[in-house]
Amino acid sequence: MLANFLIGLREGLEAALVVGILVAYVVKTHRRDLLPAVWAGVGFAVAVSLAFGAALTFGPQGLSFEAQEAIGGSLSIAAVGLVTWMIFWMARTARFLKSNLQHGLDAAIEAGKRAVVMMALFAVGREGLETALFLWASAKATDTSTSPLLGATLGLAAAIGLGWLVYRGAVRLDLRVFFAWTGLFLVVVAAGVLSYGAHDLQEAGVLPGLHALAFDVSAAIAPTSWYGTLLKGVFNFSPATTWVQLAAWVAYLVPTATVFIRTTWGTPARAPRPAPVPAGVRA
Amino acid sequence: MPRAALSAVACAALVLPFATGCVANTPAGSPAVGAGALKVDSSATACTLSAATAPSGTLTFSVTNSGSDMTEFYVLAADGLRVVAEVENLGPGLTRDLVMQAPPGAYVTQCKPGMVGEGIRSDFTVTDSGTPVGPTGHAAAQLAEAEESYAS
Repeated sequence: MLANFLIGLREGLEAALVVGILVAYVVKTHRRDLLPAVWAGVGFAVAVSLAFGAALTFGPQGLSFEAQEAIGGSLSIAAVGLVTWMIFWMARTARFLKSNLQHGLDAAIEAGKRAVVMMALFAVGREGLETALFLWASAKATDTSTSPLLGATLGLAAAIGLGWLVYRGAVRLDLRVFFAWTGLFLVVVAAGVLSYGAHDLQEAGVLPGLHALAFDVSAAIAPTSWYGTLLKGVFNFSPATTWVQLAAWVAYLVPTATVFIRTTWGTPARAPRPAPVPAGVRA
Repeated sequence: MPRAALSAVACAALVLPFATGCVANTPAGSPAVGAGALKVDSSATACTLSAATAPSGTLTFSVTNSGSDMTEFYVLAADGLRVVAEVENLGPGLTRDLVMQAPPGAYVTQCKPGMVGEGIRSDFTVTDSGTPVGPTGHAAAQLAEAEESYAS
């Protein structure tokens, strides 16, 4: 039961955290009217995933491995794009907050319902089909034992619970701190999703180097342990990481984080800096 | 619409960009039904397949995790490196189907209890059954039709 619990937790965690942050953002910027759009995206992703999962599990048609990888891989890449957009959407809002330009702030928030729906949709839908197939498999096992289904459901519930805790924590933060830290957090999450997508493409044979490992710490961080599960669930950390995965992670993280930090924390150098002390004087 | 057709259409709509992704769960009427359906039992220490050979075409590996930890099942190419097909997220007590279109050749199967290391491997041979690999008959016709209407 514990193993099934951990799978459910891992599959649901990242989506729950991203949605938790999105909801906190919408609430903090006084746009509660966008909440139905968030839930519509989440609900649609869940319904479609469960329906397709059920059709593929119980119906006469199955899904080949290649198609499943291709769906997972392409949705991951789409999710990276949307999360990146969400990060800079927040960063832009934070900059307007700093300069107290209320009309600029309103314009930044005016991203519209459709964008919010899409963000929630892809955050949940990315791993939705895989999770649904896992859930239906545990539902099918109930004629021999109910503990797999119970474990899987409790795992997903725990993921949603953690997403709710993040929401509760985030709404209490000072607005500027909220934008700065959730943004950085999302940059690391998105880098992980990209690295995960790269690994999917390596497994599907689209990218080479599946067995060229940059590091392998599986002995220290077992993928079946609770901390391995949390690291995998939140940051898509894989204990055996390939060079391609590492390269994708760094290539996304470094420029995105740099631009984000400049946007959020960077202050234009208006005041003249103090003149540098001449070399001879100090000695 | 009959349930079978509905499901085939739903599957085709989902995987249209990857046109060969739909495979019949139970290839009815095909002589390879029995031989194409394999059972795999993955425990903490063993990886037992119901057969070491199968005829080419649609193969269904019904993988059961009888261990107490998560496991994964892979079908690898003869070099033991390239992944041909895999099923993941196999919690204890679960059975999941791995469906693949297998051309004739030599393969390696692998169970990975605990999801680390080299796993438990054995050789697997796909013999030439003479049937072409890929969607055939009704499914192929439907796919072609769907593709055509998608393009126009």
